[in-house]
Amino acid sequence: MSKIIVQDLTMQFDQFVAVNKVSFEVQQGEFVTLLGPSGCGKTTLLKMISGFLTPTQGRIHIGGKDVTRTPPEDRDTALCFQSYALFPHMTVRGNLEFGLRQQRTPAGDRKARVSQIAVQLSLEQQLGKLPNALSGGQQQRVALGRALSMQPGVILFDEPLSNLDAKLRDQVRFEIKRIQHENALTAVYVTHDQSEALALSDRVIVMRDGQIEQIATPEDLYHTPATSFVADFIGNANVMPAEVIGEADGGGWILDSKIGQLISRDPRDPQAKKINIAWRPELAHVTPEGPLSGTVVSRAFQGNFTDLHVVTQGQSYRLQVPHSDVSVGDEVAFGLDAKDVLMLEPSR
Amino acid sequence: MTWRRCATVLLLLMPGLGLIVSLIGMVVYVAIAQSFGLYNLNGDSVFTVAHWAEMLDRKLYTRAVTYSIYIGVWSAILAVAFAYPLAIWLRKPFRGSIIIGAILKAPLLVQGLVAAFLFINVISYHGIFNQLMQAIGLWDEPRRLQNDRGAIGVLFLQTWKNMPFALLLLTGAVQAIPDDVLDAARDMGAGTFARFRKIIAPLSLSAMQAALVIIFIGAVADFSFQVIAGPTNRQSLAQLMVFVRQTSWHEAAVVGVTLMVIALAGSLLLAIAARLILKGPFSR
Amino acid sequence: MTQAKINSFLMGVLLAICTIWLLVPFTMAILWSLVDPAQPWTPDHLLPPQMSTYRWTNMWENSALKPALLNSYTLAPITAIVTLLLAMPTSYCLARVPFPGREVAKLLVLLPLVVPGFVTAIFFTAILFQLGLTQSRFLAILIAHCVLFLPYAIRTLTVGFEQVRQDHIDAARDLGASPIARFRAAYLPALRPSIFASLLIVFIQSIEEFAIAFIVGSPDFTTVPTLLFSRLGQDFIRPDAAVLSLILVVPNVILMLFLEALLKSANPTLSSGKG
Repeated sequence: MSKIIVQDLTMQFDQFVAVNKVSFEVQQGEFVTLLGPSGCGKTTLLKMISGFLTPTQGRIHIGGKDVTRTPPEDRDTALCFQSYALFPHMTVRGNLEFGLRQQRTPAGDRKARVSQIAVQLSLEQQLGKLPNALSGGQQQRVALGRALSMQPGVILFDEPLSNLDAKLRDQVRFEIKRIQHENALTAVYVTHDQSEALALSDRVIVMRDGQIEQIATPEDLYHTPATSFVADFIGNANVMPAEVIGEADGGGWILDSKIGQLISRDPRDPQAKKINIAWRPELAHVTPEGPLSGTVVSRAFQGNFTDLHVVTQGQSYRLQVPHSDVSVGDEVAFGLDAKDVLMLEPSR
Repeated sequence: MTWRRCATVLLLLMPGLGLIVSLIGMVVYVAIAQSFGLYNLNGDSVFTVAHWAEMLDRKLYTRAVTYSIYIGVWSAILAVAFAYPLAIWLRKPFRGSIIIGAILKAPLLVQGLVAAFLFINVISYHGIFNQLMQAIGLWDEPRRLQNDRGAIGVLFLQTWKNMPFALLLLTGAVQAIPDDVLDAARDMGAGTFARFRKIIAPLSLSAMQAALVIIFIGAVADFSFQVIAGPTNRQSLAQLMVFVRQTSWHEAAVVGVTLMVIALAGSLLLAIAARLILKGPFSR
Repeated sequence: MTQAKINSFLMGVLLAICTIWLLVPFTMAILWSLVDPAQPWTPDHLLPPQMSTYRWTNMWENSALKPALLNSYTLAPITAIVTLLLAMPTSYCLARVPFPGREVAKLLVLLPLVVPGFVTAIFFTAILFQLGLTQSRFLAILIAHCVLFLPYAIRTLTVGFEQVRQDHIDAARDLGASPIARFRAAYLPALRPSIFASLLIVFIQSIEEFAIAFIVGSPDFTTVPTLLFSRLGQDFIRPDAAVLSLILVVPNVILMLFLEALLKSANPTLSSGKG
């Protein structure tokens, strides 16, 4: 019903290409996140989907209709703004009703719809207040409610949590997910925060320099990143160059790297002789009989684990251990399971 | 796309900026043209520099030029000189600072002619000022203060009327300087005067230039203060222009163009001078 | 401690100066306006020996005050409204449409403030004579006032248009608002104080303006300032001038205080970050 199809979308500002030939689909009821560092083009992409920017090239279909040149007021999309963009001179009710008034919804229906949303977002007590009198979390909920009031097929989020403090962020995150699920909305969510993306999404689109780096479920993204950029951006994997020196007995590949010889049982075949490899710092087993070792250059206690910065032959990397009594300058020995060593793109 | 955009911009600018540029442009053009004998309203238009030659030769004209420049420059300097310390004093709010600011800015609300009337009323021969001086015993008998020869009355009025304006501009600029910057200067051993010379003055330079220039242009072209409170033995340029228009538009145009040139050149010189003094070769 | 002492001392000095600065001149003006012609105010009296409102009623009934007031107070509101309407498109363009040369355009707007008032007045009349448009003094002064005060209106409204937040406009659009609804929801609330400010500033300026009214209006079209000027000049009658001064200054002071209060109350709620 409200499937989004984006084809070869390009946006060029003068000389700068903000989005470069991007294509993807979002299924009805699916929650997809556009994730990437600032300047990767994710917000530009969202603005094209919502209609505030007209792409230089490419097409956008929403619900089977070509909306590439449809203005935002005529699209079946509702946008939750990063700044909330609540009208400061209107009460919460006025804000929630605004879209319905534009559609000339009869007063009775309007009232019913507003109170339904107010209940859903627990804003009943706030309806008569002005936005300035609300807390950040409440303002966020009004913004969400205002978008929902239109009963849009597609809901779009532009970094909606970036103005909230950490504790509230978790709470609102669950709320967004619940509302999206309850209303079976197709959602596109823009963020630079990987933990938000992993927690909320059915699928994540990782973007870099205006192009898509990888599209995958959060689990796949974490466990089998396609490139070292994704591996590093999602969960700070250790990425380092290595050379494929042959096949191992019993499957897998033997790799030679600065930290020593490793075996990888990544189901993907190596793409070249010299490649980048990645492994998660928390998947290393720190034991005295580990085949690998390095010198600890710094340690940071993080509560549930300790972060060790380790150097072997000039290659630095991180290890995360549950508890550790090693101190700076000590040698630390560890091992890696072959299934946890990932083979990525060719190294330069 | 770009053509449409260009047309939109022009269309939007037309009623406001378009009107300003066309009317003021026409005014300036007609003034210049008439000063060279064109656009004659009562006879044939002939291009000639005779009007300029004639005016430049008249003592009335040269005296008006020097007098107007004198009034313009001193009004600007006095207004800014009084406003600067007040602006620095009012930089940080304290109890009563709002009232003081309001009182100081009150003359902005008083129309020029009213200000002139209030002033001549106070300094008149039997006015309160004369009586006060006699009561104190400084003067034995009342003195004639109105229309004084040194134009101190005009300068007082100009300063009274314009100081609040300079204060408004300077307070804004001085308040925009972050405390941290001044504290840092202090931390590095800058005294009160050094903080003014090295930090406050350069950072409020553009506001000061704006105040100097705007007050200068207003004062150099003064008519009402001069007519009501100024010396009777000389004329300001605006007064002269109104006076000679009764006999010749072309001569009035010469005075008008002179006035514009002085306003423009004087503004530039004042702005440059302020920059040189505050930032220029001396401060390094 | 010492800072506070210095401040209170300076404040005392300043308040004293301000009494001389404002209080004395105005008290004098009020007293002079109440002098009864039956007994002149001579220097040996601290207060006028006989006070009455004779001067006020006399001015009202036997002078050009009525037509002058009528002229001033019809000219000013019309100037304020016409100037606002003329300034709107330019302000919108300067604030929200990026185009090359925008900074130059912003400077050109100030042109009427740079050309001395009497130069504008005299050569504007020259143009009127040239074109033969001397029938309506009122219209001529109206046009000149509009142009003269456009810089104030454009500057004020440009700031207003700059304060309109793009995300409010976008949100209104996203919720399906038509251009008119968009203007009412996103533009007008942010713009309202600037509109009032522009109207008030131009109104006050037009009431106070002297050069144009004096030159273009002479000899028979009077406004309050030109009337005051004539009473200060050829036929100087101190009590009459006092009456006219008060008539000219008091309404404007009230309007200005109103303007100040308006700008202060309206801005913080609208310019504050979120909401």
